[in-house]
Amino acid sequence: MNLFRSEEHARNWDGYEEEMASSIRHVTEWADIFSNSYFRQRGRSDFVSWTRSDAGMAAFAQFRRLAQS
Amino acid sequence: MSESELLDRGYAEVMRRCIATAQAPHYTELAASLGIPLAEAKRLIHELVALTPGWVHPGTDLLASFPPFNLQPTQYRVAIDGDQRWFAQCGFEALAIRWLVPGKHVRIDAPCLCCGDPMVLEMIDEMITTIDPEGMVGYTSSEVGGDPATRPFR
Repeated sequence: MNLFRSEEHARNWDGYEEEMASSIRHVTEWADIFSNSYFRQRGRSDFVSWTRSDAGMAAFAQFRRLAQS
Repeated sequence: MSESELLDRGYAEVMRRCIATAQAPHYTELAASLGIPLAEAKRLIHELVALTPGWVHPGTDLLASFPPFNLQPTQYRVAIDGDQRWFAQCGFEALAIRWLVPGKHVRIDAPCLCCGDPMVLEMIDEMITTIDPEGMVGYTSSEVGGDPATRPFR
């Protein structure tokens, strides 16, 4: 999960795999995905319990859906 | 203390230490902070890692990665309000550090893995104030979010 100067740079990286080409997205799009509640809530004192709540599970499901779409 | 309370308190304490010092506590320090026996703190370190996409150094009880932070240096250098002491676990987790330090200026400096040339991101809360170069992208060759079987709410 790395950042590159451009799509061309990502494709020229020696670790590039064409089957994951759909993961190439502008950094602002990844920033939006990593703005999900799952990440915003990490500082709370009951974070582990929260991840197991309905709200936590819904947040993570949404994150996975956006990240893998 | 219930098991869930112990996990909550342990996670919060490790995260607090990572934010404050850029270092993770040793389990002996965690034991002292939480007021629990050493053996319980040692087990807790491994349980917390199992709940996150983090890890200990292989064969040890030493936290090496506790996302969004990495306790070993990575190419993602993180400065908070001008103090460059932290490292992000990966380029994507670097984007989430701002949520742990509300109101603070977060700067990510990293070389491009293709060419080695520098990249800079600057953020404060909701605002991304610098993207240099403007065409910066993220890419991963592995599944983001990981295997559902490894999630804490499995």
